[in-house]
Amino acid sequence: MPRITHTDYRRQMIVLMCVYVATMLLLWPHARTASSLPLKIGCALLPTLPILALLWLMAKRVMRSDELEQRVHLVALSVATGIVCALSLLAGFLCAAGIVVLDGDILIWIFPALCASYGATRWLLARRYGAVGCE
Amino acid sequence: MNNRVRELRTAQEWSQADLAQRLDVSRQTVNAIETGKYDPSLPLAFRIATIFRTSIEAIFHPDA
Repeated sequence: MPRITHTDYRRQMIVLMCVYVATMLLLWPHARTASSLPLKIGCALLPTLPILALLWLMAKRVMRSDELEQRVHLVALSVATGIVCALSLLAGFLCAAGIVVLDGDILIWIFPALCASYGATRWLLARRYGAVGCE
Repeated sequence: MNNRVRELRTAQEWSQADLAQRLDVSRQTVNAIETGKYDPSLPLAFRIATIFRTSIEAIFHPDA
């Protein structure tokens, strides 16, 4: 399988993120006001389609990487998962104890938090190995 | 682990990108191996040895 270069990955990611932003701005607001339940569900869940496509793109990129790049992706993903799990646990306990009040909307931030932690960890690892995956 | 990958590559007058293409890895991975920041897996070490027509132990040495 041909490798996915960083340029190709970035180009496809930007397209998907533009689709995501467009659905969030144009369709998602109708989720609260739509009259029928199927339309409500459709408007609410449509933004997840470009995100699922982005996850598939990320998976393809990792699968087509060489062994060192895969190692960097794996370690970065493990660290990111640990950070997000720890933050979720903290927030859950604080919420359960009634110290902070959180509603379901905060779940939307889990994926961006995971991506941010993953990106930061990968950047640190890439520096350690000499900019692997940052070509 | 120490290795002679850079020495063998320059003897062939290959760039890191040339060797990376032959090994089907990224140029950064070749650089990480040459600088000793990353020790390749056994299959990749065999591919490196095959490309330079020598044995693994002639390329890779444990740290003294």
